[in-house]
Amino acid sequence: MNYDYRAEADALDAEVLRAIARRHVESFDDLALRIFAHQLRYNEPYARYCESLGITICASPTNWREIPPVPAAAFKEAALCTFDPSRAEIIFETSGTTTGSGGIHYMEDARLYDASLLAGFDYGVVTDAPDPLRYCMLLTSPAQSPRSSLSYMMNRAAKAFGDGAESWYVGGDELQTERFVEDIAEIRKSGVPVCIAGTAFAFVKLLDDLKLRRITHALPLPSGSRIMETGGFKGRTRIVDRGELYSHLADTFSLPPNHVIGEYGMTELSSQYYDSDYHQANRVKSAPPWLRSYAVDENGNKLPAGVVGALVHVDLANRSSCVAIQTEDLGAIIDGGIVLIGREERAELRGCSLDAESPRAAAS
Amino acid sequence: MTALAKVPAKEIARAVADAADRWRDADFPARVRATGRIAERTGYSVPVVEYALDRLFFSIAFDALAAAIADELGELEILDDFRPRAGRTDAWAMPIGSVCVISSRTTIGVALPAAVFALCAKCDVLVKDREDYLISAFFETLHEQRAEFREGARAELWSSHDETAPALESFDAVVAFGKTETLATIRNALQPEARFITFGSRASAGYVSREALSATAPAKDIARQAARDIILYETEGCLSLHVLFVENGGVVGAAEFAALLDKEIAIADVEFPRGAAAARRTADISHARALTAFRKSTGATGVLDAPPPFLPRLANVVVVRDPAEALEYVRRHRLALEGFAIAGDRFDLIALGVNAGAVRLSNFGELQDPPLHGNHGGRPRIGEFVKWIDRTF
Repeated sequence: MNYDYRAEADALDAEVLRAIARRHVESFDDLALRIFAHQLRYNEPYARYCESLGITICASPTNWREIPPVPAAAFKEAALCTFDPSRAEIIFETSGTTTGSGGIHYMEDARLYDASLLAGFDYGVVTDAPDPLRYCMLLTSPAQSPRSSLSYMMNRAAKAFGDGAESWYVGGDELQTERFVEDIAEIRKSGVPVCIAGTAFAFVKLLDDLKLRRITHALPLPSGSRIMETGGFKGRTRIVDRGELYSHLADTFSLPPNHVIGEYGMTELSSQYYDSDYHQANRVKSAPPWLRSYAVDENGNKLPAGVVGALVHVDLANRSSCVAIQTEDLGAIIDGGIVLIGREERAELRGCSLDAESPRAAAS
Repeated sequence: MTALAKVPAKEIARAVADAADRWRDADFPARVRATGRIAERTGYSVPVVEYALDRLFFSIAFDALAAAIADELGELEILDDFRPRAGRTDAWAMPIGSVCVISSRTTIGVALPAAVFALCAKCDVLVKDREDYLISAFFETLHEQRAEFREGARAELWSSHDETAPALESFDAVVAFGKTETLATIRNALQPEARFITFGSRASAGYVSREALSATAPAKDIARQAARDIILYETEGCLSLHVLFVENGGVVGAAEFAALLDKEIAIADVEFPRGAAAARRTADISHARALTAFRKSTGATGVLDAPPPFLPRLANVVVVRDPAEALEYVRRHRLALEGFAIAGDRFDLIALGVNAGAVRLSNFGELQDPPLHGNHGGRPRIGEFVKWIDRTF
């Protein structure tokens, strides 16, 4: 049988775009399996991997949970895309903080990624926000980090939902706290609601810096403001409990708990999860209808809802790469969403075996 | 003068061995209490903890202590008085003084052998205990054996931020386990003349020769032994099998051996169930397995490039042409080796272990069971806890 790649890709993209626009997928199974079949035909390393697992066009899965997930780190080993990567409209690179080298996610068409991220962000972050928000990013700008999916995402979100005066407060690896504090003071005077977005580590650094500057009083943000946290503590030495961090942020900026929103995404995905339940210590995160997940045990066996395991995501917006991704993230499926337990620090060479703690004399 | 200075070394060793003997009984109340605490602290299952305690306390026997001391110092009594030495001056191996042992966070009772030899050298010993209080509990048993141990053998739990923590500059020797940065920090806290006995970050490897894979039965036996070396202590110890080199060309192929190994690991999982420590790493383990499968599907050329995963119950099985390729892997990934298990009676495999930097060569299945009368980390057992007084008149 002859296949027309362009026609097939365009048709699938159009279907996914329609589902995103309507926020409804007619048949997740059907679309996921057709995208997977497309990837078996055109994504050679993924197809080889599937073949090694006994999955081919002739022996295809029958539902979305049976699509073999590619391990996220495989993006470091091969160009996992259905097209010539030199034609990619978007190239994202993972930070590589866990293993020292980054993986690359090539995407053929920016429209799909943009539509997915904006629809998710709209629903997850700004759905009831006064329009427009002022965006303050505790991140590097896209100009500085052109291959950062997070910088790209927040830039697109700010352009779509912001007041056009967004700012970026990380230069190199430095958080520009002084400038941030000055800008927030101005914003507070102006009464423009703000969205502060950043990694967990950046927020911890911000709170530490505020303390160092003896800014211990609250900095109430204008009504309708919110904070979006993402990205975790990968590769960082100081790790703070998320609940504790959110509580400090809500107190510091006088925000209700549901306006401190956790986002969960990956460079290897095109869609994101956002907090949807703010009443539990471990918040439930919800996905848009075109992203579904399940958990597996250490042997890759699927686990029932509520049982903690490795998360596997099936993202229909990943049409031009791999539709199913196995992560290194620990979590469980609950109430149709996920509860993220987190990611253990990367294992490393042991003494006998884990480290002894530094002695008091050394600390002084 | 130290608390044990006037106690004959033989009696110290005997008392230590007698205390260990009480701990060999799985129903000994102190051991029962410690077992639960250790399982909770380490996240290992109770059978794994029981196995570790058996290994630890069965190894601390009078004969083993006496043999190690006699081998290093010439005879046990040289710790008590001046003794003649063949072709050398008379000498007395006196205690170096006070010794602090800073144990690591995972391995069970890692501080104990060092502490025991320091006590046999009649040093005053303080051990930084862990949250399971294993060393404290053992020292209590020791106190019951002889009153002198009450002063000579102490264990405490302290943290790096604890203002009441002992000042390291007051010790004559410090034994520490950990990564390079921590060891460097500790070193800076010591008096310049203090002895610093370090056990840094290390891994272990094994090599299965093509001759050892001459038939399914011996291959299966090696796989069973290797499985134990991999899974015990959730692959977290420096003597856990982290990398397994399998030589091409055997009657049993490398892929077949890997399949045998997977089966044996599954069987060993029953005897030594996974604990909470492994459960916490489910996602990493599952992902690492999928990544290995992905690499194989791309032609396996990447396998030599893949570092050991350092994850519970996972070893990197690396197919090699010859020992040279295994050595290249060790060097490429800068693996500091502690143990090296060998299956195959070939001189070049011993040379490989030595050239790769391993300080202990063993059979498979014995990697995680180092004898007390052997060395640890390439160092003497007791030699660093004594100072020699020579007599020339």
